[in-house]
Amino acid sequence: MAKQRRLTGYRRPDGSVGTRNHVAILPVDDLSNAAVEGIAGLVPGTLPLPHAFGRLQFGDDLELTFRTLIGIGANPNVAAVIVVGIEPNWTSIVADGIAKTGKPVESIAIEGRGDLKVIEHAARYAKQFLQDASELTREPVERSDIILSTKDGESDTTTGLGSCRVTAYLVDRWVESGGTMIFGETSELTGGEHLIADRCVDDEVRKRFQSFYDNYIDMIEQTGANLLGSQPTQGNIAGGLSTIEEKALGNIVKTGNVPVVGALAPAEAPTKAGLNFMDTSSAAAECVTLMTAGGGVVNLFPTGQGNVIGNPVQPVVKISANPKTTGAMSDHIDVDCSSVLSQESTVEEAGEALIDIVERTINGRVTAAEALNHREFTLTKLYRSA
Amino acid sequence: MTSSRPDFLAHRSGDAVAVAVRDLEPGPAEGGYLDGDATERVELTKKVPLGHKVALRDVAAGEDVIEYGIRIGIASADIVRGDYVHTHNIRSARWQNSVA
Repeated sequence: MAKQRRLTGYRRPDGSVGTRNHVAILPVDDLSNAAVEGIAGLVPGTLPLPHAFGRLQFGDDLELTFRTLIGIGANPNVAAVIVVGIEPNWTSIVADGIAKTGKPVESIAIEGRGDLKVIEHAARYAKQFLQDASELTREPVERSDIILSTKDGESDTTTGLGSCRVTAYLVDRWVESGGTMIFGETSELTGGEHLIADRCVDDEVRKRFQSFYDNYIDMIEQTGANLLGSQPTQGNIAGGLSTIEEKALGNIVKTGNVPVVGALAPAEAPTKAGLNFMDTSSAAAECVTLMTAGGGVVNLFPTGQGNVIGNPVQPVVKISANPKTTGAMSDHIDVDCSSVLSQESTVEEAGEALIDIVERTINGRVTAAEALNHREFTLTKLYRSA
Repeated sequence: MTSSRPDFLAHRSGDAVAVAVRDLEPGPAEGGYLDGDATERVELTKKVPLGHKVALRDVAAGEDVIEYGIRIGIASADIVRGDYVHTHNIRSARWQNSVA
């Protein structure tokens, strides 16, 4: 195995380590997007995170939105946060949740002030946070400090044969080095969910995993819908995948051979190093957003047909073994491992090349998705708002 | 494995299907397995695009179709060795409403 590269990152007050150093401008709700964009417009270099929800949500759906927004602010790739909401109560819940990490947080509500006064107040904090963040420096870190996540998208049969095997090589090495990895895509385990259950370290984790899986699948199956074209997607089918089981078995390949040490609710942060399952949608932006809220600082994204997703907070590294995609969509691909498909290189050789890119990404290399300004930030909605 | 680049690859010995790793025309095609050195030669009945599946053995309608050593679905029509396999002749065993 190649000599390990020196890794660097931003160590936050709670000890977590980030690969980016964003000042996030975070709306609690859709109504606050305009003010958030206004603040970010006055202070270029800050990161506005507009989204579509946050009003009249209730119960588990509201809890998930809070957990996601707090998790995004708490993500180690974020140095400081401005929180803006239409009213003060939910705004404080989100701001206080983020402030537990010890990072600078300022919050303000719009009611009683209006957008322009909010923008003026918050922009002054944003400017200060940006200047303060600019003086934070990278320090040497270890693989065990880094939480990676993985999700694949627009998969085809080349993912199971190529890019997921290459990703699995990294997953096994990362976990062996004490690192943490999150995978998810609950419905996309169907037909191979027993393989994941068998790899759970103990009955408690297995029971939690199985409960997440059964609940999600019940929700889908109760609709009685013909899912062909949705799961698998039209892109999956165009790429040769015929059934959900076939898609799932390829998807599962990327999790490698290490045990599953945790089963996490959506947007829940892992508490144990190693491979953690998270209950997520298989839709790329929803899934990666939840994994970012769970603390992922670099996402590994095998793709077959060429999913272009990025995330504003977590860099997404695209890996493809489909030679048509790596040719036609090379602008979006960080790691071309099509030589595994033609058997001109081994999984180990391609896996070492992937580790090289991922470690350079940790150290600050800009991914294709970042360079192309892909900032898909998508909340998962469990049901309709009241 | 053959010394030249394969036309298709199968995950496990015993799999009923393999994946074309290049666009294949009707006629002879040669490939192998990820888990061994065995090779297969089949006579393709149709074009099989890159990433789409080739039958390595006959599967009667209603029988399980195996890939990765595991069931990926059920044959919805008789499949013979060399056939192109996709949603026209295989369907999910788990989501039985999911049909082309």
